[in-house]
Amino acid sequence: MPPKGGSKKKAPNDGSTTHTPTLAEQLSYLQSPRPFKNPNYTKNVNRRTKNLKTVLGQERERERAGRERKRQEREEREQAMDVDGAPPQTEQEVEEDVPTYTSIEAPPSLLPPRHYCDITGLDAPYTDPRTGLRYHDKSVYELIKGLSAGVAKDYLAARGVNPIVR
Amino acid sequence: MSNEPGPSIPDVYHIPASVPPTYTPPDSYDSFRGTHVPLIIDNGASNLRFGFSTSHTSPSTSSLNTATLTPHSAANVVARYKERKYNQPLLLFGDGIDAESGAKGQAKTPWEGDVLLNFDALEHALDCAFIQLGIDAPGVEHPVLMTERLGSPLHSRALTSELMFEQYSVPSLAYCVDSIMSFYQNNRPQASNAPFDADGLVISFNTATTSVIPILNGKGVLSHAKRIPWGTQQSTEYLLKLIQLKYHSFPTRVTSTQASWMLYNFCEFATDYPSTLRSLKVPANLRACERIVQFPFALPVVEEKTEEELARIAEKRREQGKKLQEMAAKNRMEKLVQKETDLQYLLNLKDGRGDNKREWTNTLQSEGFSDDAALDETIKKLELDLKRARKKEVEGGDEPEEPNFNLIDVPDTELDEDGIKEKKKQRLMKAGFEARARARREKEKEKEEKEAEERKDEEERENNLDEWAGRLRREQEVIMNKMKERGRRKAALSDRKSAAAQARMKNIASLAADDRVSKKKRKAGGEDMFGADDDDWAIYRKINTAAASSDEEEDYTQLQVIESKLLQYDPTFTTQHTHAALTTQQSALISAFRPQYEEGDIAGSTRIHLNTERWRVCETYFSPGMGGVDSAGVGEVLQSVLARFTEGEKARLVKNVFITGGPSQFPGLRDRIYATLRPILPPEMHLGEIVRAADPSLDAWRGMASFANTEGFKNVGVTKEEYEEWGGERIKRWWGGNWNPAE
Repeated sequence: MPPKGGSKKKAPNDGSTTHTPTLAEQLSYLQSPRPFKNPNYTKNVNRRTKNLKTVLGQERERERAGRERKRQEREEREQAMDVDGAPPQTEQEVEEDVPTYTSIEAPPSLLPPRHYCDITGLDAPYTDPRTGLRYHDKSVYELIKGLSAGVAKDYLAARGVNPIVR
Repeated sequence: MSNEPGPSIPDVYHIPASVPPTYTPPDSYDSFRGTHVPLIIDNGASNLRFGFSTSHTSPSTSSLNTATLTPHSAANVVARYKERKYNQPLLLFGDGIDAESGAKGQAKTPWEGDVLLNFDALEHALDCAFIQLGIDAPGVEHPVLMTERLGSPLHSRALTSELMFEQYSVPSLAYCVDSIMSFYQNNRPQASNAPFDADGLVISFNTATTSVIPILNGKGVLSHAKRIPWGTQQSTEYLLKLIQLKYHSFPTRVTSTQASWMLYNFCEFATDYPSTLRSLKVPANLRACERIVQFPFALPVVEEKTEEELARIAEKRREQGKKLQEMAAKNRMEKLVQKETDLQYLLNLKDGRGDNKREWTNTLQSEGFSDDAALDETIKKLELDLKRARKKEVEGGDEPEEPNFNLIDVPDTELDEDGIKEKKKQRLMKAGFEARARARREKEKEKEEKEAEERKDEEERENNLDEWAGRLRREQEVIMNKMKERGRRKAALSDRKSAAAQARMKNIASLAADDRVSKKKRKAGGEDMFGADDDDWAIYRKINTAAASSDEEEDYTQLQVIESKLLQYDPTFTTQHTHAALTTQQSALISAFRPQYEEGDIAGSTRIHLNTERWRVCETYFSPGMGGVDSAGVGEVLQSVLARFTEGEKARLVKNVFITGGPSQFPGLRDRIYATLRPILPPEMHLGEIVRAADPSLDAWRGMASFANTEGFKNVGVTKEEYEEWGGERIKRWWGGNWNPAE
């Protein structure tokens, strides 16, 4: 396909406007020619951008199917070997675990969580029974007593604790 | 502003103003046309870096020091936006989005967290990248080396391959992992074509994740790599949340870009977090280590009226007042005159009454009076009004005159009907008159008593200041205690299980109990004798949970009086001791943590003090549980990764620990990682210096460029034919790329 235009045009629009192009228009790439694009390629317009959940779900499915298949193969191989009677001489290399997106995810933390004050960030030996916030000393407790329920919930949400709405 | 002596006031940093982007023309393609120089694209979640692996001036790949190459770097966001002013559709990329304020809302990025999902956005981004490079051939005729995430899902890879091969017609495409490339750049073999066989442990800090990758013999051991879902994106959000919680009523909105600026400039890693916290417990240390960020604010325009204007305004107001007074006086005069004429008219009417009764009644009715008596009454009323009005003008005072009570003592029988009515009226008036006189006398007596007391007080004060002050102070304490007690009682009542609340319920129950009235009485028809004794009603005060507000007010006013007297005369009693100051006093810790500014201090109220947040935010990398993500931190992950290797391999890995990525520039990271690794390794194992990438953001790209210039590059890519045969998900396995080909 012949290139759309050998000369490199600058971005501003052609003729349809009579004003000096604004900075945004100068920066816009909409009007620039794209000769490198293949015009014969039609994207599958019906393809919806999958969201994260579906993609990860697909990965998990594939991983599971792969593992199932490998296990089956190994069983078949073992049966075959048993039939042969010969010990497995050429043991295949233990298949290294193929890392997939989910398999290399870090495990949850095993250390006991340390208590830090929700308000100040310092050490927090105490917890307020009414709201569940952790606090550092009694002056911080005075502050907590004056908080409204919404603000207290926000503090908890920052920590990742989402209390059930009573 | 802190007024205390001692450590100097820390500097105030200003939020940088946003700089509008500049237009850069596309590169010239001349030096690269037809050369098949590899094209390197570092597709990062925050920045897209792209360029050719050689520079314009020296297209030969033999002896090129890629450390000097700089790729184009742009934020990896794209926005299709229709401009409001001229109704032009625009496609903006990277920093260009800042040129249009409305475009930010439409910005889309190809990445969602760590996964490449939005391919329309990716396509636009790549379009813009290629246009910037000036490519005008009918396809991208360069072998491409692109990055992908560690363990990237096959879906992402398939779509990217499809895009590159079908849309842009690239001849070959290879994928690699960015952190491994950065490691390569910093550990390159000396001879340019020698195989790469360094060992090391790579810790990569990316936008949405942090990964630990061990590398042995130049090959990434990806099966033992781990990825933590906490990166700069989450840290920025956490910092923003902390700031919003701390400064609840901040006048301006804090945006994510400002939060990330603050993150990059003020936050650092603590080598030992618990001991850092312990040192920060002291308010003085908090103040010493805080950073103050000043947000832009607008001073309210106060129109200062000059002296003359003020005087003029006052004059005008006075004149207005006088005019009103004059008008009111005139009104009164007119009314008086009117009344006089009325009175005159009526008197004339009465005088002119003829003997003819019917005519008289007719005249009366036409005037609006029902009978003679009504006419007389009206006349009398008018006369009284006139007399009063005239007297007011003359004397200006209202003297209570003693009306005549002559009829009171006359017995009823001697009077006629009218007389009896008169007498009743007079009795009422007399009672009222006497009551008023009595009240006046009592008031005077009270005033005298108060004056006497005050005089006594003053005498005492002048004679013996200390004792007087002591007495007043004791009274103040008593009142304050009462108020505190009341507050405590109110709090106790709201708690369902407290003793006060239970006592209250007992009272209510006993009031409502059936056996209040004894059985015998009830049978005999007796009733509940509750209210007979006045003290019974006092129980309602106890039951009523609403605060006794009248009592509180009384106490409060009394307290005010005492305090004002003390303030005036006692030099040792300052405003600090007043009740108001004592109740609103904040602890030193809280005021160091979040300093309060005066009401009118506009500059102060748009300031943010960062003290504990500086370390708290970075600590989340090592324990994401602080930020709500249930995952192991960098320390734990390092430990678990190392545990899967043998001792010998471990020794090789830890000799060369390498950190890369934007956040690796935060101060204190290297010490922290050293302190984390040292305890979990056997003491004799040598732990090398933690090495940071020479240029944490660009080294990945540079590593890719260097690799692309070597011979090995040709073998790792997927060519177009292979793509068409295998599909987009299959890749060749090599030391720098992912391991997960499709089966």
